[in-house]
Amino acid sequence: MAIQTLDRTAKQIVLTVQDYSIFAWQSLMNLFRPPVYWSDFLIQSDVIGVGSVSIVLLSGFFTGAVLALQSAATLSAFGATNVTGRFVSLTMIRELGAVLTGIMVAGRNASSMASELGSMVVTEQIDAMRALGVDPLRKLVTPRVYATITMLFFLTIVANAFGILGGAAVTVFLNHQNGTQYFSMAWEGLHFRDVAQGLVKPLFFGYIIASIGCFYGMKTTGGTQGVGRSTISAVVTSSVLIIVADFLITHVMLSLWPS
Amino acid sequence: MSLSLLTALEPLKDTLPVVEMRHVTISFEGPPVLSDISFRVAPGETRILLGPAGVGKSVLLKLINGLVKPDHGEVLLFGDEISTMPEEELFPIRARTGMVFQEGALFDSLTVRDNVGYQLIEEGKLTGEEIDAKVHESLRFVGLEETFSMFPDSLSGGMRRRVAIARALINQPELLLYDSPTGGLDPITSTNIISLIVKQRDVRSTPSLLVTHRLQDAFTMCTHRFDAGKDEMVPLPKGETDAKTTFMMLDEGRLIFDGSLHELLHSENPFVKEFLE
Repeated sequence: MAIQTLDRTAKQIVLTVQDYSIFAWQSLMNLFRPPVYWSDFLIQSDVIGVGSVSIVLLSGFFTGAVLALQSAATLSAFGATNVTGRFVSLTMIRELGAVLTGIMVAGRNASSMASELGSMVVTEQIDAMRALGVDPLRKLVTPRVYATITMLFFLTIVANAFGILGGAAVTVFLNHQNGTQYFSMAWEGLHFRDVAQGLVKPLFFGYIIASIGCFYGMKTTGGTQGVGRSTISAVVTSSVLIIVADFLITHVMLSLWPS
Repeated sequence: MSLSLLTALEPLKDTLPVVEMRHVTISFEGPPVLSDISFRVAPGETRILLGPAGVGKSVLLKLINGLVKPDHGEVLLFGDEISTMPEEELFPIRARTGMVFQEGALFDSLTVRDNVGYQLIEEGKLTGEEIDAKVHESLRFVGLEETFSMFPDSLSGGMRRRVAIARALINQPELLLYDSPTGGLDPITSTNIISLIVKQRDVRSTPSLLVTHRLQDAFTMCTHRFDAGKDEMVPLPKGETDAKTTFMMLDEGRLIFDGSLHELLHSENPFVKEFLE
């Protein structure tokens, strides 16, 4: 009995991974064959990008601020408080800016995609769309995927910028250190490999957020309860995958450009 | 027509059938929902699919335009075998059909105008003004022109079904599929909806397949015609029925009856008898 359950579960996992792989691949490839719904791409860019600016801005600012607070306390023990700017900028740009923005956007948008598409599935709106001769994957999923990839890239830049500003605010107003020195250290510490690492990650994270959110939405079964389950699964899976992908990308990037 | 005659599937005299199912079976992780289903819908014909809830009536309707795929058997739509066709190739074929879903399935974030004109907007062949004119015409057909700028959530259940009918009709489909269009509605609204379906049948002669578990609606369709002069549905003379409206009945996933109203009323099948009683 236990073996049967294990067998069924393993098959289910393999089937889900296979379904997701096909779904995610098609959602990307649809851009290269007409029709391409550019207006939907712009609408989704507005919803995902502009709509997420405030949360990304606040989380970026306070993450940078707390990094400055924590690092100053540690660095002062070594008499190295002057490198706070370098520490904050490197941590934000290489790691935290992309990951935190990814997780914030996953919380806001993967859930919204899963619940919106899931509701459309359970009320037969997706079937209605197919019956009217429109491909829901092209119309609903592809614009969301590309909009999330594009907007997460810019949102990460915003988060990085405001993170460094947050660090500066703490350094100047709470730690009473020199602002020019902070920014000068932040700038000097940066290399191409750091910026490349920070800007490659959101491209992958955006793809994960949108493809997972839409996948769970489109596979919703079981009425309104099913919509709830899809929403939770979308947020949890995309957040975990972002952290896993972050590790893998960091490992590859460090192999390419060792520090 | 008896079931043995049906399975023989003699070729129709006039033209190719609009829909043809050949020994179709489908299941969803369990016993078959539909088993060995075979039938045809001829041009101009209206077929009413009867059966209790949960016997696979809606699944059968979705099989017809390829929304679900059978495990075995063939589904021919406009002469094309669609059961093995990739989704990409199905979209243009589906666009030639009109489908009214059980609860209307209107896009709740779009206005009635955008819902009804959805197919035309997506095709991108007409200007905004031309689409508006067609939407008005379609809404006039179902008597809901005043809802043009409204959102679906501000409409009653009956109005939503009528808007769904307007959406299904706007592109002058070659086949109409109605999935329980009167389910959950009061008798007066149900009669209005049936009147619209009869109007479409008699005015435009569009072949259709209607799924229902309401005998009253089925009999009304068979015993009434649309009077264009009076712009209303009127009863046929006593004893007459619409020759092009025929019945099928499903029980436990199997097609147990296929024939005319007269044959239905005189069927010896115990389930048919019980259902009619």
